[in-house]
Amino acid sequence: MTTALADLRRYRQFYLFIAPFFILFAVFGLYPLLFSLYLSFVKWDGLTPMHWVGLGNFRRMLEDDLLWRSLQNTAIIGLLYVPPMMILAFAFAQLLNAQWLKFKAFYRAALFVPCVTPMVVIALVFSLIFSSEKGVLNYVLALLHLPSIGWLTSEQWSKVSVSILVVWRWTGYNMILMLAGLQGISPEYYEAADVDGAGAWHKMTRITLPLMRPTFRFCGLLSLLGTLYMFDEVFVLTKGGGPGTSSLNFGMYLFNLSFSDFKFGYASCVAYSVAIVVFIATLIVNRFNRDEDAAPKRGRLGRA
Amino acid sequence: MCLLTAAALALLTPGCTAVHGSVDPSTSAVPVNASVRGDVTVWSWNIAAKSLQSLTPQFEHDHAGTKVTVEMNGTNIQSRLLLALVAGVGAPDVTQFQFYEAPHYIATGTLADLTPVAKKYETMFPKAVWQNCTMNGKIYAIPWDVGPCALYYKRSVFAKYGVDPDKIRTWDDYIAAGQTIVKKSGGKTKMMTLGPNDIEDLFEVLLQQTGGQVFDDHGRIAVDSPQARKALSIIKRLRESGICSDVPAYGQEWLAGFSDTSVASYPGAVWLGGLMKDAMGDYKGRSTDWGVTRLPAVDAGGIRVADWGGSVLVIPAQCKNKAAAWAFIEYALCTREGQLAQYHKESLFPAFMPALKTKALDEGDPFFGGQPIGRLFATDIDKIPALNRTSNWTEAQGYLKQDLSHWAATGMTDPDVLGVVARKLSKRLDLALAPPNPQSWGHPTGHTSPVVSRHMPFDQVSSTQVLSPQNWGLGGLSWTTGPIGDRA
Repeated sequence: MTTALADLRRYRQFYLFIAPFFILFAVFGLYPLLFSLYLSFVKWDGLTPMHWVGLGNFRRMLEDDLLWRSLQNTAIIGLLYVPPMMILAFAFAQLLNAQWLKFKAFYRAALFVPCVTPMVVIALVFSLIFSSEKGVLNYVLALLHLPSIGWLTSEQWSKVSVSILVVWRWTGYNMILMLAGLQGISPEYYEAADVDGAGAWHKMTRITLPLMRPTFRFCGLLSLLGTLYMFDEVFVLTKGGGPGTSSLNFGMYLFNLSFSDFKFGYASCVAYSVAIVVFIATLIVNRFNRDEDAAPKRGRLGRA
Repeated sequence: MCLLTAAALALLTPGCTAVHGSVDPSTSAVPVNASVRGDVTVWSWNIAAKSLQSLTPQFEHDHAGTKVTVEMNGTNIQSRLLLALVAGVGAPDVTQFQFYEAPHYIATGTLADLTPVAKKYETMFPKAVWQNCTMNGKIYAIPWDVGPCALYYKRSVFAKYGVDPDKIRTWDDYIAAGQTIVKKSGGKTKMMTLGPNDIEDLFEVLLQQTGGQVFDDHGRIAVDSPQARKALSIIKRLRESGICSDVPAYGQEWLAGFSDTSVASYPGAVWLGGLMKDAMGDYKGRSTDWGVTRLPAVDAGGIRVADWGGSVLVIPAQCKNKAAAWAFIEYALCTREGQLAQYHKESLFPAFMPALKTKALDEGDPFFGGQPIGRLFATDIDKIPALNRTSNWTEAQGYLKQDLSHWAATGMTDPDVLGVVARKLSKRLDLALAPPNPQSWGHPTGHTSPVVSRHMPFDQVSSTQVLSPQNWGLGGLSWTTGPIGDRA
């Protein structure tokens, strides 16, 4: 112990230099983290004194059908939008990475614009696209002699509408990540493949896709978190999860718990529990992936 | 690990002591006849803030040595205020709440008791809004503006299809008139907009007209009542009659309805007129096509107004200069001069009834073809039945909205939707269901429709025979102690 203190004194200038991060982290990171952990065990409306309820909040969670409903909706929305978004993002990234394409910077910026557009503007535009009366989508359906769809007024379609909005908004972001991934693959692999007489298909399946795996995993993780804590899309498009609870996702549910119901204790408990589950799930997925990456693959190119 | 725990405790301790934002009740009341001087900071938003701003020169002139600063806050007012109240410092001297939010904050004991100074104004405000400002007989907030409802209609559309707005006296008349318009226009013009997500707003309006409640006088869940079922049956008829479009309220398409012929009328509160004037910015003072007639009643001769929206002003208990804060509230809200100045400046409709009795309300509004709409909205404002808004009103409202929009989006087939809502509210708010005895619901005088038919569509298939006297005893018991699981 004394040696530790002596070391502390001896290297104090260095500790001083790294202190700002730790101080900021303690105030803005660690303290809220621990405080909300504490909140998970109390009943608190934000203003009156807290009441210790022990595991009461956790027990309550098991019977909270709205929570399960919101998690189910979150999963469905995720399944609806992640695959098309990833495929589109990858396709666009491939396109932008192609040698023959001109005005790349322009396309790149154009595809990235949705990520930086204010949500108010997006809401306005999309409410006109999804309108059941005069919406663009229903107009197209009418031209094709198809029945019109209550995009935002029917419980079957509200999740689809949210998913379409999410795909539009976040494809560009994922595309940029994938473009970086593609550009990180050394051209030597492709040259070697050319020499070996590999076609486009083989280059894709044997070089590009395996080497893009870390990027895919990263994008997948971001999407998982994005889906779970998605808020503005639902808040503006379906007025907070309507009709009924058909598009109520986890982020929206959590917001309601805190700022409409003022159940800060229970909200912390729910947030903590789901965060822990997601954390464990991510660890398992990563572990699984690492094992797979580490295992030598016979007959595959590109393993440096 | 040990170190971490110690650090956690050290960090948590101040957090725990800081949350007692409530102040000793003996010092939180506003003093009577105290000298008025010093600074007053007010938090408010958009036109309401501008409206208060316009009052400050006169107030500062009348009370030498005071300085009023109106800070305009956006949507973050609630979180900022919450933080200030938790911390016990940093709150303004006067702040605005939506009238339905006020009960939550009143219940936390963080607002100053206005009873000593405000009791004398009790009868000068409509009961419907005053009730939300009090708790256990004490006054904690003063109503600012109210939102009496009426029916906005497009004169040219009504004239073209031969519909006389003066003959629309009940919701049945309204539906019949709507069917005429929809039929004669070939479906191009709908009578109103009523999307699934907007039903809850209209439900609250109709609930006042039928004399129903969400919570009874004892705070129990009373939403599964004959009155509420009647309100919902009107919504069902409105939607089934084919006169409504699904356009969601306040969206671009909805606003466009102000100036095209896609919709013939909007049942709405007095502030909708302001919204129209803003949205149709190019009308430049000339008369528009819009007229206003009174809200249709539930039954012939029933009440033709309801309250929708409005806000209140409060003084946080931590305020150091309560005398000056109160003086400003009193001037702004409890004088004809203050309220009428705001009515003229920003069209805030006064809750202070003496102001409603003045000639100012008889002035014609050029936007509505010179119609004196102020007088129309002020009619019977003191007769609006009050809804019991409890501290968990916003949460209850959220569940109501979820279940009613689910009901509407799935074809309005569930006859027991209010039973579902009641059980959900009971479970999630941990409150008892009110006994199925209409006598105990807190409107013994029955402002409207005292006789409720039990042969209404919602009653027939309902699992609870609410009005049958045999069931009041055992039936009531099994009703409250039965399984309260959510069926959704």
